[in-house]
Amino acid sequence: MHMIAILMRLAWRNLWRNHRRTLIMLMAITLGAWAMIFMTALMRGMVAEMVRGGISALPGHVQVHHPDYRDDPSIANLIPMSDSELSERFAGAGFAAWASRVRVPAVITSEYDSRGVTLLGVDPVSEQGLTFVDDNPVEGRFLESVDDAGVVIGKKLATTLNTQVGKRVVLMSQDPDNEIADRGFRVVGLFEADIKAFEENYVFAGKATAQKMLRITDQVSELFVLGSDHRNVDEVYDKTVELIGDRAEVMRWFDIDTYLGSMLKVMDGFVFVWIIVIFLALSFGLVNTLVMAVFERVREIGLMLALGMRPVYILGQIVVESLLLLAIGLAIGSALSWAAVQPIKDGIDVSIVGDGLDMWGMSNMLYPELLLSDVILANVVVLVLGFLASLSPAWRAAHYEPIEAITKV
Amino acid sequence: MISRYLTVVTALLLAVAADADEFNATGIVRDAVNHWRGLASDSVITMVIHRPDWERTMTIRAWTKGDDRSLVRVLEPRKDRGNSTLTDDNSMWSFSPKVNRVIKIPSSMMGQSWMGSDFSNKDVARADDIVDQYDHSILGVEEVDGITVYEIESVPHEEAAVVWGREVLRIREDHVVLTHRFFDQDGELVKTLTSLEIGEMGGRVIAQQQRMSKTESPDEWTEIQVVSVNYDVDLKDSLFTLSNLRNPRD
Repeated sequence: MHMIAILMRLAWRNLWRNHRRTLIMLMAITLGAWAMIFMTALMRGMVAEMVRGGISALPGHVQVHHPDYRDDPSIANLIPMSDSELSERFAGAGFAAWASRVRVPAVITSEYDSRGVTLLGVDPVSEQGLTFVDDNPVEGRFLESVDDAGVVIGKKLATTLNTQVGKRVVLMSQDPDNEIADRGFRVVGLFEADIKAFEENYVFAGKATAQKMLRITDQVSELFVLGSDHRNVDEVYDKTVELIGDRAEVMRWFDIDTYLGSMLKVMDGFVFVWIIVIFLALSFGLVNTLVMAVFERVREIGLMLALGMRPVYILGQIVVESLLLLAIGLAIGSALSWAAVQPIKDGIDVSIVGDGLDMWGMSNMLYPELLLSDVILANVVVLVLGFLASLSPAWRAAHYEPIEAITKV
Repeated sequence: MISRYLTVVTALLLAVAADADEFNATGIVRDAVNHWRGLASDSVITMVIHRPDWERTMTIRAWTKGDDRSLVRVLEPRKDRGNSTLTDDNSMWSFSPKVNRVIKIPSSMMGQSWMGSDFSNKDVARADDIVDQYDHSILGVEEVDGITVYEIESVPHEEAAVVWGREVLRIREDHVVLTHRFFDQDGELVKTLTSLEIGEMGGRVIAQQQRMSKTESPDEWTEIQVVSVNYDVDLKDSLFTLSNLRNPRD
């Protein structure tokens, strides 16, 4: 114990003997630690935003479909259970939120143009707050009930079609017998979405109105359940499977949007790789500094050995020196990255590259996400690897031949 | 009991009287549609599709029967010969001998142009929607060259699958449609179907030449010229079948 205190003192003093070199090294470690933690926070924020956007578009953490619906999202593939039976089963299950909807491809036509869209027949009351429509205010109004006679379309689609709130549009799709099912609707509201593609793709109508138009009775295409955490959906999944049985396909969000799911997994691995890569760059500087410190002190080390200091303490002294250096650098770096996140906590506007991000399914705001686990990971990895890197110069110092070392010019 | 019965009858009569104007307008439109199509018809038509930098002429033969069945075959130009379209009720199929395949026109394509013209597939498949999906009223009556012409405004029902704000037709008392104008929901004129030439054909006075043009691009239009028409034909039901679409037996 006494020895460790002496080693600490020696290492600390040695560090500040050449304070310029130490400061430069400290700066490098600080910068490295900051880069690791801050960039990770940004990337986490990016992925979290993608996942959030993806889940609000799907929507939900767990979805139920007809087994063939995902291959052919047509009116023929409805959930083989009536909507009222579904709501009976799901109402008492204690989910955070769930809703069912009719979801079929359709064509929307105005006087001037027509576009292919996805028609969503929704229950506006049960879906409130669950989907991307609620992120931004709706111009006009949103649907009010399942048999609302109006439709709500995206702002961008309205521009393309040259229509506006209060005008009529025609929606055309197919009924289960492949006959044309169409109907005129009055546009009652225009929604805005962070992801512009949604504004062109989705048209909301009342569930009952859509069912009437498509000549289907009490049936829906999809049911979704929202749990509390997108990283932990197994509980919700198991419960849903239990409620549905084997009559329909139940899927988790990362199985449906596999791109998004693997994105999240890749991200977890990538944080580690990113930390290692930065450390590798750092380690050259670290080892170099330590080797220099050892070279400078060859005679001194020889003297200590000659005076009877055991090689293991020499080794310990060098290792403690490097760990001290790393610890100070990491502490400042972590503090700095925390400070760097504070002013941009409320999001960075990245709309300059908005179109590009749009393609990735990201919105125009980036919210950095500083996770304690990432900070700990970065610190632990750097300390452990730094310890290993410093072993080589320390080993060399501990194995000098005292006579040779003392007489070395 | 009897007095109650009488009250009902009187009320009904009054209602009919009040609706007479509307009834009349609907009647005029229905008569015009029936007059143009007849119970059954067999006609040869040339269609000219005009664009600023090109023009294309097609000759087609068309059969119609009743309200909802029609078969159209291209005769000229040679490379398109045999291209056919069959409509039955609201469904539409097309056949091209080159690919030897019958394709059902999906709902997504009903709004698209029919054979590259200014008519949409929907215009061709569902011409009689104009009668029962609209509220008709007479805007005015005038005398042109000694013939009474009714100007009729047709406003689509709220839930009708029609994008137009209103349509205005000018129909002569002998059921010939002079113009058919399509207005958007702001009241702007979008496209016009005009009868350029009226004459007797197949025992009826009909519009022999009609032009569909868009207000936005006046030098793009499609003209239809009736070459010959025969209304007194007895067409077999087997004419309007998918197998006949694929293997013409006419």
